[in-house]
Amino acid sequence: MRIVVDYDLCEANAKCMKACPEIFEVDEDDNLIVKSETFEASLQSKVEAAVRACPRQAIKIAKD
Amino acid sequence: MLETSTHPLSDIDLADVDNFNGGMPHEWFTRLRKEAPVFWQDEPNGPGFWNVTKYSDLISVSRQPNLFSSWRGGTNVFELGKAELEGSRLLMLNMDPPQHAKYRRLVSKGFTPKRIEMLIAHIGELAKTIVDDVAERGECDFVDAVAARLPMETICEMIGVPDSDRRHVYDLSNKLIGFDDPDFQDNRDEAPEAMAEMFGYADKLAAERRKRPQDDLATALLNAEVDGERLTATEFNSFFMLLALAGNETTRTVTAQGMRLMIENSDARRRVLDDMRLLPTAVEEILRYNPAVVHFRRTATADTEIRGQRIREGEKVLIWYPSANRDEEVFANPQAFDVTRNPNEHLAFGIGEHFCLGANLARLQLNTIFRELLSRLPDMEFAGPVRRLRSNFIDGIKEMPVRFTPESRRPRRPS
Repeated sequence: MRIVVDYDLCEANAKCMKACPEIFEVDEDDNLIVKSETFEASLQSKVEAAVRACPRQAIKIAKD
Repeated sequence: MLETSTHPLSDIDLADVDNFNGGMPHEWFTRLRKEAPVFWQDEPNGPGFWNVTKYSDLISVSRQPNLFSSWRGGTNVFELGKAELEGSRLLMLNMDPPQHAKYRRLVSKGFTPKRIEMLIAHIGELAKTIVDDVAERGECDFVDAVAARLPMETICEMIGVPDSDRRHVYDLSNKLIGFDDPDFQDNRDEAPEAMAEMFGYADKLAAERRKRPQDDLATALLNAEVDGERLTATEFNSFFMLLALAGNETTRTVTAQGMRLMIENSDARRRVLDDMRLLPTAVEEILRYNPAVVHFRRTATADTEIRGQRIREGEKVLIWYPSANRDEEVFANPQAFDVTRNPNEHLAFGIGEHFCLGANLARLQLNTIFRELLSRLPDMEFAGPVRRLRSNFIDGIKEMPVRFTPESRRPRRPS
């Protein structure tokens, strides 16, 4: 499982950071930083919430 | 259980604008979500169209902008002539990826939460002035004197339209959006005229900004490049028009609908007055309950299906926001107006590629104006009939006479 962000879509709405701050951070210059592309099973539901929360639907969980 | 399932759906007609005169036909939407979530509608002057009424289907259509195109036939239900269609494609609204992303990027940095946060103090002052101007009058037309003003001042300022021209831009935007309403224009033929005037104004503004650049969106657009090329005059003008339209009509509509809801639901208003910390969830509930945009049209670019329903290439698909926002599968007690609803993942701003660029700005404006209105004029009530925009595209209110105790004659609430 790997987090993939479409940076063409991302507009720094920071909803993902609210849903899962362990993985997503929007910095001072409105850049989205994915702290880790992979994540522990314990974070699964929070990452899924971040995927759903993105109004631009810019985040995907890739199964590879 | 009501025996709705035995009723045929033949009484439903989403093509006739007059069926929206009394508000959104929620009884129809409820039946459609249950019985025909992807529903075919014949239309008298066109080939007919599919209607998507379920929350998850609206998301699915929105997430596939190349399969359900905004570019191919535009985003309005009516068919455009070849030249009109070409013209409409200069608006971001009617572009698909990857072109859409290139244009959107020119302005999107101006609308991020951080950039909008920088406007908090200024929008606060504007909202205060707007309420100052009516507070002692005791009555006004809410739409013209209140709802219209904050969005107009805000978007014009962001674009760079000077004070003295804002009313003109506002009147033109009314003509462009009120295409089904005789109060704004006699027929759709007047739209090109208003558009020409809007373009003429944008030309003037561009010339002015070339001479004297400012820190505004007009100057940013003049300096912007797409694939190494500056915007053409027509592209700049189209951008200007879209920002002016989208920035004006929608927030005005939600402000007016929100005040109407507060007046009609006095218990809800009292709850917010008693605890202003509820205001943000109240604003989200207003957005869910009466989203400004009623539908957008997409056109299928290939044979496909939605929820098992076969859709053929070239067919029109309408996605209905007020219906998705009351989907029983997502929202408990969806027909209830509940200012404490949380979570409230409504789709008033759309989702995906075309998610409303101004959503953060709109949320700030709505929270600011309602804080000012509710706390200072808490007994506002109707002083005449609420007149709706004749439209199945924008859930607009044209006129809403209200009265209230002038602010200076009100006893102060203990704080």
